[in-house]
Amino acid sequence: MLTLVVGGAASGKSAYAEELIVRSDAPRRVYLATMTPFGDEARRRIERHRALRADKGFETLECYVNIAEAAIPRDSAVLLEDLGNLCANELFSSQGAKGGAADAILRGIAHLRGQCRDMVVVSNEVFTGGADYAGDTVRYLSLLAYVNRKLAATADAVCEVNCGIATYYTIIE
Amino acid sequence: MIFIFGPLWSGKRAVAKELLACGDAEFERRAVWDVQELVRERTDLEELAVELSRYDAVIATEIGGGIVPLDRGEREARERAGRLNCLLAERAETVVRVFCGIPKAVKGEL
Repeated sequence: MLTLVVGGAASGKSAYAEELIVRSDAPRRVYLATMTPFGDEARRRIERHRALRADKGFETLECYVNIAEAAIPRDSAVLLEDLGNLCANELFSSQGAKGGAADAILRGIAHLRGQCRDMVVVSNEVFTGGADYAGDTVRYLSLLAYVNRKLAATADAVCEVNCGIATYYTIIE
Repeated sequence: MIFIFGPLWSGKRAVAKELLACGDAEFERRAVWDVQELVRERTDLEELAVELSRYDAVIATEIGGGIVPLDRGEREARERAGRLNCLLAERAETVVRVFCGIPKAVKGEL
């Protein structure tokens, strides 16, 4: 089962996504981290999250671009966090797919989905603050919006998290 | 009238076309979109809502979720956009929020 979890900053989307993984009956829990550890703030953030997840039995894999190559165990539940970082990495980093970013991300997720038992993908809601953007910001936002829509169309469930509460946009069985 | 709102690039027009079951040319006659832009010029929101209600589908992008704009004109326009949405939602038989391309009726039924 593939669930897309979307929310704004500090909306509780990560905690909700982790809960979905913990509820899965898959014996292994894998956290696929996309945030590049540049700078003290990012490193501290990553360390804190890693410690929190360790208690829930997550193994952490780091994958900043080309997620199709991540080695995912077959019997696992995978938490991919998050598409906002992954889009930025694919679009702007030296190893990124640049113009092929959307394809690399969507094909990557489709591939991993076939490898694991359950998958939860976390993405970011950054689209209600107007449209007064230009250049790279527009490219980035339109990529993220496109990937969100495409993934939502193929996911088994899609939800938006506000204040830690999930609202579902597809029927869950 | 169906009122459709949602975040930027969330697939609102594609959903509207499906709900009206029509092609591009007919859609341009029956639907109006980016109505949040109209309030830059218009302040008579009640009248604007009445005019817009003559369309089969009215589409607005949610813009109230960011930082309050520093510019007074932008700030007031954003405020009017939100108020217009409320007036349109009152008049609409059906109100639909589109999120990541997926419609969800928040008033009436799809």
